[in-house]
Amino acid sequence: MATPLFKIGPLPITNSMVMTWIVALGLVIVIRIVAGRPKLVPTRGQALVEDMIGGIKDIVAPVIGKTAINAAFPLLMALFTYILIQNWSGLIPGVGTILMRSHGAWHEFARPAHADMNGTIALTACAFLAGAFLVLRYAGPKTIFVDLFGNKASKEEVPAAIYYPLSLIFIAVGFLELVSIFFARPVSLSFRLYGNIFGGENLLHSMSAITRWGLPIPFYFMELLVGIVQAFVFALLIAVYIGLLTNHGDGHGHEQEGHHDAGSGSHH
Amino acid sequence: MHNLLAEITGNIQGGLGCLGAAIGVGMSGLKGAEAVGRNPDASTKILVQSILGMAFAEAVAFYALFLGK
Repeated sequence: MATPLFKIGPLPITNSMVMTWIVALGLVIVIRIVAGRPKLVPTRGQALVEDMIGGIKDIVAPVIGKTAINAAFPLLMALFTYILIQNWSGLIPGVGTILMRSHGAWHEFARPAHADMNGTIALTACAFLAGAFLVLRYAGPKTIFVDLFGNKASKEEVPAAIYYPLSLIFIAVGFLELVSIFFARPVSLSFRLYGNIFGGENLLHSMSAITRWGLPIPFYFMELLVGIVQAFVFALLIAVYIGLLTNHGDGHGHEQEGHHDAGSGSHH
Repeated sequence: MHNLLAEITGNIQGGLGCLGAAIGVGMSGLKGAEAVGRNPDASTKILVQSILGMAFAEAVAFYALFLGK
């Protein structure tokens, strides 16, 4: 667990919090220096950053849809970069290995932010609020309501005797969806990130405890992989959750049109 | 047999949850690799889908580990 290093008033400052701030500050400074002032002919650092942004945008754009991509992309990119570097910060020599003695026990002096559940819950809360803002801005309350509780069966194909009872089921499904949005999604996002990074940190500790030399090395490479995958998963899931509500404005429309144009010929 | 079952203690629900999640993640990876083999051009789309599948399967393990006490 995270250990308090010192206190500001009643607020204990833990080693994970200090690590969060250091990494965030370092990230801002390094990206500023590397990207610099954007030029028409990119410098090497600018090309690197642009490449990374372009690669992520290609993957995320079809998920989130045309309406919200420009507004949501900075959020997703920030989440990805921040989580990636926070995850990898546990692999810096000294983080998690330098111990200090306080209250009669040995505690870690520095510890990665996401190996403490407070950090991931706060991160998920921020992402959730930002996502909620984007969804309200680009989908609007009416679309959200229809999307959650509305009847998704098409009136032409389903007879009225089945269509109206189906609405009841869709309303019940809407409540399930609400539970998913407000409970299951935030919990699974924060637990997944915490579990992976905490597990990785513990894995490295136990491997170092077995043999100090050699044995932990392969697990460091595995943690590099886990760190990038978890950062990607977090950003991608936020994209999916935003896209589920904002995307169907144009995506579904085209689908519907295509359906009508094709008629029943291709389907039956 | 009953006595043996009664004496099993420890984090059983965590183990079972992780087992299920591991099977799910493995199947997602298997099918993702299969799909890329069939249609290598669609690898980016398949990557997104299979990572999402893995993430959802993986979440079960953490429910079992942290929520089940």
